[in-house]
Amino acid sequence: MPKIIQYRDKCIGCGICFELQPELWRMSRKDGKAVLLKAAAKKLTHVLQVTAQQYEEARAVSEACPVRVIKLG
Amino acid sequence: MDVELLSPAGSFEAMQAAINAGANAIYFGVEQLNMRSRSSGGFIIDDIAEISVRCHAAGLRCYITLNTVMYEYDMQLLQGILKAVKEHGVDAVIASDFAVIESCTRMGIPLHISTQANVSNLESVQFYARFADTIVLARELTLKQIASICSEIKRRKIVGPSGEIVKIEVFIHGALCMAISGKCYLSLHSQNASANRGACVQNCRRPYKVVDTESGNELLVDNEYIMSPQDLCTIPILDEILQSGVAVLKIEGRSKGADYVHTVTTCYREAITAIEQGRFTPGLIADWMQRLSTVYNRGFWEGYYLGREIGQWTKTPGSIATEKKIYAGKGTKYYPKIQVGEFIIEKGSLQEGDVLLLTGNAFGMEKILFDQVLVNGEKQIKALKGDKITFPFAHKISATDKLYKLLPATDA
Repeated sequence: MPKIIQYRDKCIGCGICFELQPELWRMSRKDGKAVLLKAAAKKLTHVLQVTAQQYEEARAVSEACPVRVIKLG
Repeated sequence: MDVELLSPAGSFEAMQAAINAGANAIYFGVEQLNMRSRSSGGFIIDDIAEISVRCHAAGLRCYITLNTVMYEYDMQLLQGILKAVKEHGVDAVIASDFAVIESCTRMGIPLHISTQANVSNLESVQFYARFADTIVLARELTLKQIASICSEIKRRKIVGPSGEIVKIEVFIHGALCMAISGKCYLSLHSQNASANRGACVQNCRRPYKVVDTESGNELLVDNEYIMSPQDLCTIPILDEILQSGVAVLKIEGRSKGADYVHTVTTCYREAITAIEQGRFTPGLIADWMQRLSTVYNRGFWEGYYLGREIGQWTKTPGSIATEKKIYAGKGTKYYPKIQVGEFIIEKGSLQEGDVLLLTGNAFGMEKILFDQVLVNGEKQIKALKGDKITFPFAHKISATDKLYKLLPATDA
């Protein structure tokens, strides 16, 4: 099952993930960082199982993240 | 003379180094709302208390940078940070966004206007004086322009919210931006990494060729690093800078280590004292320049202060520091009664005569001569990977303290 991984502590809250794939991301009003919606969090690593199509769309998100904290797995 | 020397603190090690080296104040950033959110390891909100306590105990002021572009969803984090700033008595917030300026004004938190606001004239100073007692001028002004602004502030008696005459702060050392500071979008365009959110990837530091898209001809450029300015170093003209009437001298470098902060702060502290005592000589300047060149630098020039029309560009991609620190190991134990520290070698080897550089949260930066190689308490010729070495050390060490070997850059 394809998945998206976010290493959240290094997120700088630029908002590009939310711009590119709004159905999977929100900007937290609590700490200003990106939230990978419905992701399972293990400490600071957030993982979400996604469909093949979402996975393909997420490539651009992963590449656009300026601090490279969004990975595909 | 009552000039404030303001040093960068990207970590507790660097903060302690600044304290030890004679800074009057430090500046730091937390979380992601500061201009070094990518490069410096990063303090978090919970660190504000310790930073404030340690600086104030040492008689230093501390300022927090909150000077990125601010988005709507940043507001709650901003308020959380400002609450901690107020609670722990951080001396001022360095800001450029009006959301920060407005919040600080409402909460009664002293403000400094960041260089990100590019204040370049007296009218702007007068405007920002409604909110801030200290204003950092744009780095691209000449000393004449700075002196004129400073004298006009006094003549017109421009005061800040505290009722005191507004103070002017300028950068005296460190990296320069190829653009008007904070107005560069190169990193954003090429890699979506906004310099104005502290994520600059520094593409300007790379070599470039200029290509005519019609003919395909490449332009020959003498120096390929046509967008990478050399670093600012004002030690040779520090007397003129002080004469201009500025009140705060700022050293750039929150992404630099404790050794950098210690060396640069020490040199400028000595230079300020020498000027005050009327013994600011070419010999001393040469000595400070030599010491400054041992730590990270891209070559030095005096920035735009002397009215140069165009910058001086680097010739290499990175530092031309004359010394290099090679990671050797980390702290393992401290024996307080006999004041001996124990470190484990994790990389390379050490031998008698090596100069060791140690960085740590509690003591900042220390250099010592490794004059006796003691491995597990026994004298050896060399200490190798895996060995535990001990040597006299005046400060308590911890597992996060790092040990480096200092070498001339050519040997590294």
